[in-house]
Amino acid sequence: MLTAHRAGLIGCHACGRVWPQDETTCRRCGATLHPPDRRGLQAVWAWLAAGIVFYIPANLLPMLRTETFAGLQGSGEATIVGGVIELIRYGNWGVAAIVFAASVIVPLAKFLAISWLAVVAGRPATIEAAHTRLKVFEVVEFIGRWSMIDVFVVAILSALVQLGFVASIHPGPAAVSFALSVAFTMLSAQSFDPRLIWRGLPLRSRRDTTTG
Amino acid sequence: MTDTPPSQPSSEGAAPLRPASPVRRTAARAARAGVSLIWLVPVIALLVTLGLAWNAYSGRGTLISVAFTDAAGITPGETQLRFREIAVGQVEAVRFTGDLRSVLVDIRVAEDVAQFIDDAAEFWIVRPQVSTQGISRLDTVLTGAFIEGSWDDEPGPTGEEIHVGLDKPPLTRSNEQGTWVTLASDSAKGLSEGAPVFFRGLTVGRMQNLRLSERDETVLADVFVSSPHDQRLTTATVFWDISGFSVGLGPQGVELNVTAVTSLLQGGVEFATLISGGQPIRSGHVYQLQPDQEAAQNSLFSGAPQSELRLSLLLPEAIKGLTEGAPVQFQGLNVGRVTNLAVRLVPAGAGQSRQVLQDITIAISPQRLGLRDEATAADALSFLAGRVAEGLRARVAGAGLLGTSLMIELVEVPEAPAAQIVTDAEPHPIMPVAPADMSDISTSAQGLLNRLGNLELEELLTSATDMMDSVTALARSQDTRAIPEALRRTIDEARVTMTDLRSTAEELRQSGAVGNIAAAAEAASALAGKLNTAADQIPSIVDSLDTATASAAQVDFAALAADAQAALTDLRGVIGTEAAKALPGRLAAAVDSLGSASADIGALAGELRQGGASAKLTQALDEASAAFQAVEEAAVDVPEMVDRVDEAAVSIDEFDFAGVSAETKGLVADLRAMLGTEDAEQLPRNLSDTLEAASGLLNDLRDGNAAGSLNAALDSARRAMDQIASAANTLPALSQRFQQLAARGEGVIAAYGDRGAFQTELINTLRSLRRAAESFGSLSATIERNPRAFILGR
Repeated sequence: MLTAHRAGLIGCHACGRVWPQDETTCRRCGATLHPPDRRGLQAVWAWLAAGIVFYIPANLLPMLRTETFAGLQGSGEATIVGGVIELIRYGNWGVAAIVFAASVIVPLAKFLAISWLAVVAGRPATIEAAHTRLKVFEVVEFIGRWSMIDVFVVAILSALVQLGFVASIHPGPAAVSFALSVAFTMLSAQSFDPRLIWRGLPLRSRRDTTTG
Repeated sequence: MTDTPPSQPSSEGAAPLRPASPVRRTAARAARAGVSLIWLVPVIALLVTLGLAWNAYSGRGTLISVAFTDAAGITPGETQLRFREIAVGQVEAVRFTGDLRSVLVDIRVAEDVAQFIDDAAEFWIVRPQVSTQGISRLDTVLTGAFIEGSWDDEPGPTGEEIHVGLDKPPLTRSNEQGTWVTLASDSAKGLSEGAPVFFRGLTVGRMQNLRLSERDETVLADVFVSSPHDQRLTTATVFWDISGFSVGLGPQGVELNVTAVTSLLQGGVEFATLISGGQPIRSGHVYQLQPDQEAAQNSLFSGAPQSELRLSLLLPEAIKGLTEGAPVQFQGLNVGRVTNLAVRLVPAGAGQSRQVLQDITIAISPQRLGLRDEATAADALSFLAGRVAEGLRARVAGAGLLGTSLMIELVEVPEAPAAQIVTDAEPHPIMPVAPADMSDISTSAQGLLNRLGNLELEELLTSATDMMDSVTALARSQDTRAIPEALRRTIDEARVTMTDLRSTAEELRQSGAVGNIAAAAEAASALAGKLNTAADQIPSIVDSLDTATASAAQVDFAALAADAQAALTDLRGVIGTEAAKALPGRLAAAVDSLGSASADIGALAGELRQGGASAKLTQALDEASAAFQAVEEAAVDVPEMVDRVDEAAVSIDEFDFAGVSAETKGLVADLRAMLGTEDAEQLPRNLSDTLEAASGLLNDLRDGNAAGSLNAALDSARRAMDQIASAANTLPALSQRFQQLAARGEGVIAAYGDRGAFQTELINTLRSLRRAAESFGSLSATIERNPRAFILGR
C-alpha cells in the first residue's frame, strides 16, 4: 500500500497538500511541514502525563460542597465516586450511570486509548489494525470535548443552586483538577499525529498481491 | 494516494517499487536527540499537585482524641473545637472505644495551639442548655454544637493519648482565681449542680460535683468561691442552705422565709462569717452545711464542743413543752441551748422523801456570754458562779406566742434565796433554779377572767336593793308623812300665836314685856338647836357611805362589793334602827311640844299683855322676821335638793338595775308626794319661827352636802359600774380574740397535720412545680439532645 511517506511526499498538517519531503513549509498555507516522526509522540506522552497527574486529585478531593439549611441539615463534600455511590443509594441509577461514565469511564478510557495509540504508533500493523487505530483515534477526538460535561455540571449547579439559607452548592477543588485533567487529555489527543498510524504497514498486503 | 506529487523525481522511474525504509530511531537516539520542552508541563503539574498535597498534609495539625459519653451534635468534618470561642480545630472522626462505653472524637488541632493541650486540658461539648439557671448557649441551636476546650498557657506533659471529656461545662475555667472548698451535708437538699453560692445575697461562687462521701453517709459538694470573695472564708465561716422556703411558728409569730425565687428551684447556699477571729483557710477546707440561718448561727456556739459549758438544772415540777434544742437566753440573747432532758431520782435523804426531779442539761457558749474569744468552759463557769451569787437563776420561761414552746432563761431574781453553783456535781455542775415564769399572755388572761368571775356582783346589787327598800319604807312611814301635817298644825298654831302675839305686842309696846318674849324666843331657839344636832348624824352617815363607795370604786372590785355591802348594811341598820324610826315621831312630838310651848307662850303672852314688855317683843319680832327670811332662803334650796335627788335617781336609773331604779323612783315619788302635799305647799307661806329648827336641819343637810355626797357616792358607784360594764363589754371581744387566735393557732397547727388545707395546697403547688420542672426538663433534654429539632421540627 502506497503511503505519502513511501512516495517520498509529506502532507501538510493544516491544509492537506502534499509536498516533496524536502519542503519544510507548505507553500499553499504556510504551515510548517512535519514529517511523521515518533518524536512527536513526546508531546502526547507529556500532555497525557499531566492529565493523569491532575486526575488523581480530581478524584481524591471533593467535587461538590453542598450545604442544606446553612449546614444544619447536613453539608456534604462529595468526591466523584462518592457522589456516584450516593446517587446509587438514592436509586438514581440512570444519573449515576451517566456521571460514572462521564467522570470515570471516559477519562480512564481516554488515558488507555491514547497510551495505546502512542505505544503502537509506527509499529508494523496490518491494514485492519491500522483502521482500528484510526477509529479509536477518531472516537477519542470526538469524545474528548464531552469529558468536560462534569465540569459543566458543577459549574451550572453552582450557579443555579444558590438558594442562600436553604441550600447552596459550591465547586470543590476537584473541579479545577478535573477540568485541567480533561484539558490536558484533549491536548494530548490533539498532539497525536494520526499519520503515524499508517507507518509500518506491510509493503504489500495480500489484497495488493492479488490485485497487482 | 492517486495524487502524484509533481516533483516526483523521474530518476527512479524505471525502478520497481520498493518499500521506503521508514526512518526508525531507537529510544536512545530519541533521547539523545533532546528532550522536548513539552515535558515541563507534566513536571510542573506534578510539582503543583505534590505541593498542594504537602501543604495540606503539613497544615492539617495534630490529631488528638477526646473521649465523651456520647457524641450528641458532633458531626465529623464539621464540628469545631473552640478555645475562647475561636475555632482552633475540627472534628475529623467519631468512633467508639474498644468496649463501646464511650465515644472517641478525633480532633485535628492547629499546630500552634496543640502544644498547649496537655493532660490538664478540659474538653466539653457546648450545647444549648435549659436549666434552672436559665437558658444558655442558644446560639448553638443555629450553629450546631461544638467542642470547647480550656487549657492554660503552659505546655505540659501529654502522657495520655486520650483526653477525657467532661459531661457538662466546668463551672470555672482552669485559670480562674478563687478557692475551692468542700461542703458536707446530711442530704443533698438545697444542693444542686451549678447552684449559686451567695454572700450577703450576692452570687460569689458555684457548686458542683455533688457526690456521696466515701467514708460516711454525708453528701459532699465542691464549692468554688471566686477571688476576691474567697478572702472572706475563714474557719469561723458558716454555710447554710437557703433553698426553698420555711414557715416557722416562733416567738415572733408566724415566720415565712423565702430568700429568692430562683433558690426555690435551683437551691443555693449562703455563707457568712458571723464572728471574727477565724483563721484563713486553704483550698479544700470542709465546711458543714447548716439547714438554715438560725442553725448556722447556733452552730457557731456549738462549733467547739470542748469549749462549751454544760450545766444541769434540776426542776422539782414537771415541765411540759421544753424540747431539746430550746434556746437558753441570757439578757435576751441566745447563749446556748438545751441539750438533754432527763429525769433524776434523788434518793430519800435525812428528813426528806424521795424526789423525782427533771434534769435539764444546757450547753452555754462562753463567747456568747461576752467573754473573750479564747475563753474556756471553766471561765464561763466562774463567771456564772459570780453572777449566781448576785442572784442569777435559771428558770423556765414561755417563748411562744401562746406560750406553747418553752426556753431556759438566765435572769436576776432579786429575792431569790442564796444559792451556789454546785461545781463538783456529776455529770455537770448544777445551777440553781427559780420557779418557772409562766407570765405569758394566756396565764394573764386566765387570771383576769378568774378575778372577774370572783366579783360578788349579785350581793352588791342585793345590798343596794335592800338599802333602797329601807329608804322607801322610811319615807312611806306614817310618822314621816305626819311631819308636814304636824308642822302645819304647829304653824297654824304659831300663826294664831303670832296673831295673839301681834295683839300682845301691840299691848306690849305699851307694856314693855319685850324682854321676856325675847327670852322665850331664845329658849325656843335652843330647842331648835337641839333638834339640829339630832339631825346632824345623817350627813355623816351619808359621808361614810360616800367614802366607802369611793374607796370601793378605787380599790378592788371584790373589796368594793364587800365594803359597799357592809356600808349598805350599816346604813340599813342605821336607818332600820328604832331610833331612826322613832325620829319622825320625836320630831312630831317636838313640834307638838313646840306647839304646846307656843300655846304656853300664847298664854304667857296673854299674861304679858298686861305686862307691857312691848319694846322687847318688837326686838324679838325683828329677830323672828330675820329668822323667817333665813328659812325662806333655805326653802329656795329645797327644789335644788330635789333636783339633785332627781339626778341621783337618774344616775341610778342609768345603771339599768331595774330593782334599784324602781325603788329609787318609788322613793322619789314618795318624796315628791310628801313634798307635794298641801300641807307642804303651805309650808313656805305659813312658816313661823318654830320652823327655824327645820331650817337649821335643812341648812345642816345642805351644809353637810349630804345630797352632794350621796350624789358623788352614786357617781362613784356608777363609774365603778361603768368600768365594770366596759370591762365586761371588752370581755367578749377579748374572749373572741382568744377564740380567733386559738382558731388560727389550731388552723396553723392543723395545717401542719395530716392533709391540712395548707398542706394540701402546698403539696398541689409543689406537684405543679414538679410537673412544670419535669416538662421543662424534658424540653431542655430534647433541645440539648437535638438542637436542630428546635428549628426543623423533627
